[in-house]
Amino acid sequence: MAQNINPHYASSSNPAKQNEDTIKLKDNHAVSKRLQKELMELMRCADKGISAFPESENLFKWIGTISGPQDTVYAGHKYKLSLEFPNSYPYAPPVVKFLTPCFHPNVDTCGLICLDILKDKWTALYDVRTVLLSIQSLLAEPNTQSPLNQQASYLWPNQTAYKKYLDEFYSKHKDS
Amino acid sequence: MSSTEPSQNKTWELSLYELHRMPQEVIVDATEIAVSPRSLHSELMCPICLDMLKKTMTTKECLHRFCSDCIVTALRSGNKECPTCRKKLVSKRSLRPDPNFDLLISKIYPSRDEYEAHQERVLAKLSMSHSQASLVNSITEGIKLQSQNRPQRSRKTHDDNSNASNSNGHTDSAAQNGGSTSAPKDTTPTTGNPTASGQSTSNPASVRSTPSPVLSNVSSISKNTSTTKRAKSILTSERSEESESSDGRTEGENSMDTEGEGEPLNPNEIELVFKPHPTEMTGDNQLMRALRDSSVRYLKTTANASVDHLSKYLAMRLTLDLDAELPEAYRLLNFCIYVAPSPGQFVPLAGSQTLRQINDKFWKVNKPLEMYYSWKKT
Repeated sequence: MAQNINPHYASSSNPAKQNEDTIKLKDNHAVSKRLQKELMELMRCADKGISAFPESENLFKWIGTISGPQDTVYAGHKYKLSLEFPNSYPYAPPVVKFLTPCFHPNVDTCGLICLDILKDKWTALYDVRTVLLSIQSLLAEPNTQSPLNQQASYLWPNQTAYKKYLDEFYSKHKDS
Repeated sequence: MSSTEPSQNKTWELSLYELHRMPQEVIVDATEIAVSPRSLHSELMCPICLDMLKKTMTTKECLHRFCSDCIVTALRSGNKECPTCRKKLVSKRSLRPDPNFDLLISKIYPSRDEYEAHQERVLAKLSMSHSQASLVNSITEGIKLQSQNRPQRSRKTHDDNSNASNSNGHTDSAAQNGGSTSAPKDTTPTTGNPTASGQSTSNPASVRSTPSPVLSNVSSISKNTSTTKRAKSILTSERSEESESSDGRTEGENSMDTEGEGEPLNPNEIELVFKPHPTEMTGDNQLMRALRDSSVRYLKTTANASVDHLSKYLAMRLTLDLDAELPEAYRLLNFCIYVAPSPGQFVPLAGSQTLRQINDKFWKVNKPLEMYYSWKKT
């Protein structure tokens, strides 16, 4: 279940998170090693509908893509996301944002995503793959109780109207 | 998600698995059990650092294993729960060291230090070449997978090439045919003209024997006579031209059929053939001379890779291959990448375009994407 928490409050409401910045890992080495391994694993067996790759030489910033799940209003859509890994990764979650504008109850206009596993429900066992898969399933199953995008949340129950608006929105913004 | 499980009220109820599992017989004789390295690896791996377990700690309640350092850091930085199953872990006291497991690992991997030192070296090399190395890795793996059917496939590709260029009446290939009179007839090699059958069987062969960068690279194929023979045998093995024409097949159907014989390709992956730009990368180019036989590259990679990724891969791959042969000044290779939607027409590609976009825009046919590179000295 996606637990909706305003990202701005989420970070301050969890005192344990403050520790993360103070935890000094020996070096970045362990982090890049893990990211390196994740990348190899991702390249070795590609999942359907998701992909990710470091944006440049910098292993701490990746670009991911998600295809809208089949048999949902998002089917056929494709979204680009950015993933930024903190030095405390995997003990702290990556910062994940939609680069392709996404009309969704739990995504705001800046592309910020409200998803519990990216906030307080993060565990070190999540990785790029599971994060992208979670966001993919969030597309199909939004939490309309505490939305970031009121309009999307309001429109969601009417799937026909939602789909119509979504398709227009998508074709207008997909290239931006 | 597992977050909904009642983690607050502590229960000792056994799961179905726990209720029904039977103790395993202890093996006392010399019975050996075969375990694949991969499944073994996932057992001996710490799910946090993805490395082999080091100073194993096991959670007392749920029996999940982690490196001591990893789980201690995880508990300090996040929620007080098992990273694997979210069972509450109050403190370090909810964990116990598992020396038996460490012993097991050291029995299986007695030379762990060596293994780690080796991995360190590999990673050091990788970080020197940054993320591109992993791209190279994955692509080399793809090449390895392909290498089995590569000879056949590259021949087939070349065959398609010659057909394509012929049907367009491309002047280059006509000229290379040595002024052969067959040139005008080339335009209908597979359109079902019964009289053209004899003609068209010799047709790919004559193109084949002309010097081209592809030909010099398919090392297993020697020149001229043997090539001709081979070309014919391909035609007979795949589908003879005569039977085609009597079937009255159209060219389109035919090419789709023959392509369909290849193994199914994952829709997220794209196969491509990388060739040197025919005019910008001529024989007197220093890079071309150094590359010799390895100037054509066969890749299979994710469709989301961009032109920038490719050109970096290329720079890296070629640098690795050439190594000593290329003077230091030429190490920084900078490539311009083109796609040729029709023969002789080279469209330079922007770095941000992904392979899928290029494929959709320029390359609608169902065969490996052909791209060209030229090298700019920086």
